[in-house]
Parts: sequence; structure tokens; C-alpha cells
Amino acid sequence: MKANAARIAQDDPCRPRHYRPVPCAPAPAEGPAQEALEISHTRLLVTAALFVLAFAVIAGRLIEVAGFKAGDNHLARFHPAARAYAARADIVDRNGVLLATTLEVSSLSANPKLIAAADKADAAHRLAAILPELSESEIFGRLASDKSFVWLARQLTPRQKFAVIQLGIPGLAFESEGKRVYPKGDLAAHVVGYSGIDNDGLAGIERSFDDVLKSRDEPVRLSLDVRLQYILRSELARQMAEFSSIGAAGLILDVRTGEVMALSSLPDFDPSNPGAKPDAIFDRATLGIYEMGSVMKIFNTAMALDDKVVTFDSKFDATKPIEIAGFTIHDDHAQKRWLTVPEIFMYSSNIGSAKMAAEAGADRQRDFLGRLGLLQAPAFELPELGTPQVPHPWLPISVMTVGFGHGISVSPLQVAAAAAAVVNGGTLYAPTIVMHPGGAAPQGKTVLSAQTSEQMRRLLRLVVEHGTGKNAEAPGYLVGGKTGTAEKIVHGRYAPHALISSFLGVFPINDPRFLVLVMLDEPHGNAKTGGYATGGMVAAPAVKRIVERMAPIVGIQPVDEDSPEIRRSLMVGLPSPQGRKLAAN
Amino acid sequence: MIRLGTILWGLLVIAAGAAMFQVKYQVVRLESELTDLNHEIARSREATRVLYAEWSLLSDPQRLARLNDNFLHLAPVTAAQLGSIDRLAQIPLRAAGTLSRPLLAAAPAKGSIAP
Repeated sequence: MKANAARIAQDDPCRPRHYRPVPCAPAPAEGPAQEALEISHTRLLVTAALFVLAFAVIAGRLIEVAGFKAGDNHLARFHPAARAYAARADIVDRNGVLLATTLEVSSLSANPKLIAAADKADAAHRLAAILPELSESEIFGRLASDKSFVWLARQLTPRQKFAVIQLGIPGLAFESEGKRVYPKGDLAAHVVGYSGIDNDGLAGIERSFDDVLKSRDEPVRLSLDVRLQYILRSELARQMAEFSSIGAAGLILDVRTGEVMALSSLPDFDPSNPGAKPDAIFDRATLGIYEMGSVMKIFNTAMALDDKVVTFDSKFDATKPIEIAGFTIHDDHAQKRWLTVPEIFMYSSNIGSAKMAAEAGADRQRDFLGRLGLLQAPAFELPELGTPQVPHPWLPISVMTVGFGHGISVSPLQVAAAAAAVVNGGTLYAPTIVMHPGGAAPQGKTVLSAQTSEQMRRLLRLVVEHGTGKNAEAPGYLVGGKTGTAEKIVHGRYAPHALISSFLGVFPINDPRFLVLVMLDEPHGNAKTGGYATGGMVAAPAVKRIVERMAPIVGIQPVDEDSPEIRRSLMVGLPSPQGRKLAAN
Repeated sequence: MIRLGTILWGLLVIAAGAAMFQVKYQVVRLESELTDLNHEIARSREATRVLYAEWSLLSDPQRLARLNDNFLHLAPVTAAQLGSIDRLAQIPLRAAGTLSRPLLAAAPAKGSIAP
């Protein structure tokens, strides 16, 4: 302390000789000097604190990373190689059966600059032996170019790839790319659709779900059931061959949800080679629109009953054909007497249906068909959708013809969706080919009363039991349905031998679950059908077999049709020709 | 005292350095292991996809029907073959062992495996 004071004292060369500073702490600075000192002090402290904090954070993180391994697994997921290779997601049926998938294949490219000029001819010769779709001169032409990248062949088979590697030619390279594979082939061709070589969807679900398929790994799950699809397709093919028709279409619909369980149009094609049969790409079930004929009487009768225009006891004169505006409306199964509403439906009387429609009027008819979605294109996931052709203007004769299914063209899909609403208690569900996510109840809209629906179920059963649809009777499964036979318009006239014959069946009719629609395009009668090619002869037997084959798969138990409860629930009172009341069921 | 402190710090630095190298090489090794595993996963996934596609191809109903026509001759289940548990009660009971014999005897030769 003493030495220190002396040093300070001696530090000042200008001190007076007699003055000796008092040995103590230096006097505190005053004014601005002190302020500056304090500021720098504070700054130093703050900086130090920040550094301490930063180091504490780093230390903490180090301890966390080194000491607690949990939670660092997610880092591995950022690794680029961990993502699965999928240029396009799969398409599966409702049970997860694969309908379309993408497999990795190699394509062969070359860098001509890396191949010695003298070797090029030899390389071309040897490659041509492996790649049959390319000629030797073609390969040589590409190898001789002065580019540094040329494609040689896309999507080699594993065998070809191995052979190319064995050649050991320098300058060749493989590029991985996705190839679309359709393991079920033509089974659901029109639904699945197909895609091009660059993995762009060009038709069907492949096209309408193109963005979805490209943007995720999770498969698109359809409402289709491959087993039912096979049953439907094989029965359609059988009918088509038996009655030498030019085409066939059909679908199976869940009437409680609007889900399409099977949808087929014949002829069909192989999605991996759609170009081979360009005509077969046309989808008769969704894109084709047809005058469906008597099947449309389902809607005519439902309209008249729902709007209380008629009751089961109302009678119409079907003794002679109707002459209107130069046309004659006559019956195929003419009874030549007054018929009640159930009889009109059962015998498929055009005259009775036309008169019933006329009594309801154009407004009711248009309104009812509109509510059932039969006047505009349906909202459906497939891009191939037909827009209905409806009468314009809606003349009195149109009202009559629409009553029995002529003068209005709709797609089989629309007919099925609308008929499902008629039988399921009156709720219209938009048809869908994509499965409703687990348990989600679809939104339907009520289009007719439950009572009308109940009456329609009785009428549909009547057709199969006593009317034109007897061939659709699958014992135990309570099939109800309606036949339809319409002449196609060829060169502006109805052609008597070019028919659209169809049958729309629903089972079990006392508590409908499934709707089966079968349509044949230009069937020809054979000896077995006595030359007839009507819906009841050519389409109804197919529906019967489809119902019998699919019922065990979908878990529907056969019932005893003669049990009293069922007889009562499906009874329709019919007058006998002698005027006695018959109880048909 | 200062000497001892310096030596201590020096040792710590060396230890830290050594540990860091150790960790670094471990990380490099794990990285390459991870890359290998990821390739393995990708390969396995692709193989799984191929197997799924093959299974779908083999279980194609049209193929199964063809095989059935060639070898088994099974027919679709008919309504007459289905019944409910309640119906069983209506069938009179038989002594054990008598049931299998007539069933076996009645099995048609046509239903068995064809040549």
C-alpha cells in the first residue's frame, strides 16, 4: 500500500515539491467521466451475460443430444433415400386387392461421346439382339449422333437389363422409372382406366384421380369388389356370346350407400395396351346413353304413385293402341282390356304407362325425373360420363313416350342410381366408385315417400313372380325387378332388330341391399328363347345367376319365400280376368 | 499452482479432442450404415410391391376360374346349400359316427380332383 501510494505520487512530474499526496484511494472521478465508466461497465455485464446464456444453451443441447437419445429418430427420416419409390400411388378395390400399381423398371440410355467410333457398329449389332423393338441401323443412328445423351429403350424387362449389363459396353446407363402395371388386366378396365408411358392418367380413375395418385403414397381405395366384378363381367360375357350382341354393360350398386360394387362394359380392353382395341374403350355403362325402354316405367309408376295421381286400384284402358301425332303406341304383351296400375307394371303395358304419364302431366314428370337426377349428367368419379338427352320441347307426345322409356336417353349408371332411391325408402345417394371412408354415412336426399318406395318394391317383386321378369327369379333371394326392351334408333328410325335389352333387379326386395343392372346391346334371340331378344329373355337370366353367385359372398341368407311374413309384406291385390280378386305376391 | 492448473486443462483439451474424433468417426460409420439401411428398405419395398403385384396377378378371379375348370370343377354355392343354425334344430339327432360314413360314401367321384 505504501509503495503504491509512493508510485502514484511520483507518477505526476508536475507535482509541487512540498506537496505529497495523502496515501489513500484515488478520488472518485466526477461528472461525464464517471458516467462513461458506468455505461461501459453495464455493457460489459450485459455482453457477458449473453455469452453465458449462449454457452448454456449450447451446453444444454449437447447434453440433450448426447444423453437422451429419444427424439432424434426423426432426423433419419430427412434422409433422402428413406422415401419409397412411387411415381404413382396404387389403386385398390374395397378389400385392398391391387388393381393398378407402379413398379420400378430400368430404361436404357447412352452417352455416344463415351463410345469409341470404331466400337459403335459392333455395339449396335449386339444391342439389337437384346432389344427386338429396335433395328440395328436405328441403334447405330442414335449412337452415331454427337449428343451426350440419347434414349435407346424405355422400360426394359429385368432379363433385358441383365443381358445389357453382360455386354459390358461403356457409355450405357440405366435410368429408373415407374411403370404402371395392371395385374387384373381387363377385369375392371373401364373403371381403372389407363395411363400413358410418362405416367399421366388418360382414362378412368387414372385420369380423374391423376393429381391425387401423383401426390401421395397411400392407395386410392375404390368401392369396387373384385369378386363381384368378376361375377358381373363373366355373366355379361356369357350373355353377350350366347345372344351374339355387339356389346353389354352392367353394374352392381349398394342401394343403401350409392357405392358401385361392380361396373363393367363389354367389349373391354387391356389397360396396359389400350391402343389395341380403340372401340372397346367406350364405356357403355357410364358414357353410353340409351333409350332404356320399359325399365323407365319404374320412375313413371313411382311418380304417379308418389304424386297421388293414381293408386293401386286406378284403371286405364289398354284395349287398343294409342294414335297420337302420327305415331302408334302399342303393347308387346297386349292384354286388350282395362288394366290396374300393378297390371300395367307387371305386363309392361306401354299404353297404360303412356296414359298414366299423360294424366300426371309434363310438369310433374319433368320435376320427378329431375329430382332423381335423370335430366343432367351425374356427379361421378369417372371422367367418361354421358349427358342425358331429354325431350325439347317437352310435348304431350314426349310425356307419353317418356312414360315408357322412349324419347329420353340416359346412361345405365343413372338409371341404377335413380332406381336405388325408388326402392331404398326414397333416399337418393349420388353414385360413387370410391369407397366411403370407414363408417361415414353418405349424405342422401329424400326424393320420394317411404310409402311409395314400399309400393314400388311390391310391384317389382310382382314382375319377377308373375310378370315379364320370371327368368330373374333366384329362389330364396327375393329378386324384384323390371325388364326393358327398346329399339335403337338407326339412321333416324327405330330399327326392329337392333334392341337394347335390359333387366334391373333388386334383392332382397323386402329389404333391398343390392341392385343389379344388366344391359345387352343388340342381342339376337336364339332357339332357346324362341327367337326373342327381350330383356326378360336375355338379361333377366344373367341377373338371376349374378344374384345367386354374389349372395353368399356379400352374406345374404336365402329366405323361405312362402313364409307368411314375406307373403304379407310383398302382397299386391290383383283382379283376375273373371273379376275375382287374386292375391299375388 | 499455475502449472498444475495448466496441466489439468491441457489434459482436458486432449481428452475432449480425442472424444470428438471418436464421435465423429462413429457418426461417419452410422451415416454409411443408415444409407445402406435406407437402400435396403427401398429395395425391400420395391420387392414387396413386386410381390403384391404378382399375388394380385396370381389371384386374378379369371385365372382362378380357369384353374378351377381344369382341376377342381367346383360350382358356386347355391341357396339350397345354405341354412341357418335354427334349421339344425329341426334335423333329428343321429348317433355319433354314423354321420360321416354316408357322407363319405355319397361324395361324388366327379367332385374330386380330375386327372
